[in-house]
Amino acid sequence: MKRYDCLKAIAPHFGEELVVTNIGAVRHEWQALRPHPGNYHLQNLGLTSSMALGLALALPHRKVVAFDGDGSLLLNLGSLATIANQHPRNLIHIVFDNECYESSRGAPTATAGQADLAAIARGAGLANVMTAKTLAEFAEAFLRALKSNDLYFILVKVEAGAGDVPAAALDSQENKYLFVRYIEKSENLKILTATLSRASEPHAK
Amino acid sequence: MKREVAAEIVDSLKEAGVDFVASLTEANLHDLVMALGEDPAIHHVPVTREEEGIGICAGAYLGGKKPAMVMMNAGFLLSANALATVCIHPGIPVLMLIGHSGGVGEENAGHATVGALTEPVLQAMHIVYEKVGRFEDIRPTVRDSQMLARSSRRPTAIVLNKQALR
Repeated sequence: MKRYDCLKAIAPHFGEELVVTNIGAVRHEWQALRPHPGNYHLQNLGLTSSMALGLALALPHRKVVAFDGDGSLLLNLGSLATIANQHPRNLIHIVFDNECYESSRGAPTATAGQADLAAIARGAGLANVMTAKTLAEFAEAFLRALKSNDLYFILVKVEAGAGDVPAAALDSQENKYLFVRYIEKSENLKILTATLSRASEPHAK
Repeated sequence: MKREVAAEIVDSLKEAGVDFVASLTEANLHDLVMALGEDPAIHHVPVTREEEGIGICAGAYLGGKKPAMVMMNAGFLLSANALATVCIHPGIPVLMLIGHSGGVGEENAGHATVGALTEPVLQAMHIVYEKVGRFEDIRPTVRDSQMLARSSRRPTAIVLNKQALR
């Protein structure tokens, strides 16, 4: 089972959920499967879980799904403790664990050795922690999390290897503007400030 | 930090529209962090590592919050990559309140190197910052730094010196 197979299995279940993707091939795979302004593709290794936490806390009535990786989460293990303590009920934290730094030519990560991210997540204080080793297990775990009103952590053990998809044609700045405009519209919020032209102001007497 | 200084910072943040603060405490920031935790108008997220806080603030901004990050300068140095990739690259603001250890008046020898590096790194990252020590400067500086962060869609910083932290 590869990450792309997992994403393909769950993509049809997405409506207006917000998604934060880790740096690497997952952004291209997800953008090909679900092109949507509610996708935010992070250009940073490590902060996927934190970015998703901030978003989930800001919009507690919107489901937020993070597509994280083992190499990324290992850089930011403390975020699990923060997520457990904040306990956002609208967050689903999915970690695709391929036991290697796939986008950096595949050297093994700590999960290829002794580390178990699900055990670490439990130790950090997360209650709903699941490990999926087959496509059926993953789809079932994801749907349970999607239908629930609680925080979930799903570790998915996958083989290395990226889906055969084109590169997502989306710059970071463009992605940010599309995402923010989508949030402004769907939530009736004003996030980006705008400056009125001085010409529209009444002249001083 | 004296309690009245902490209260002035919290009140200034609220007046500037800040409604979400991530923090990592230190002895000099203790009263500020405790005051943030007690204020119902601010969602306070204590973090385990400062760069985590930068990610949380960026996510909160995308969701419509007006975030700030409270940390010491050692944590700012730790956050350089997070600020570059998560905030500066896509254009996401975050107001940073940075306690400045290792500056003039520092009694701890171990802090001097971090103190000397703080402003050069802020400058190298093209982050606009103001140094604040006097009580009466806190409110206008918080207001103006937040204004610039929001309008420029970039991080800005307020460096709190020993005078403010004592």
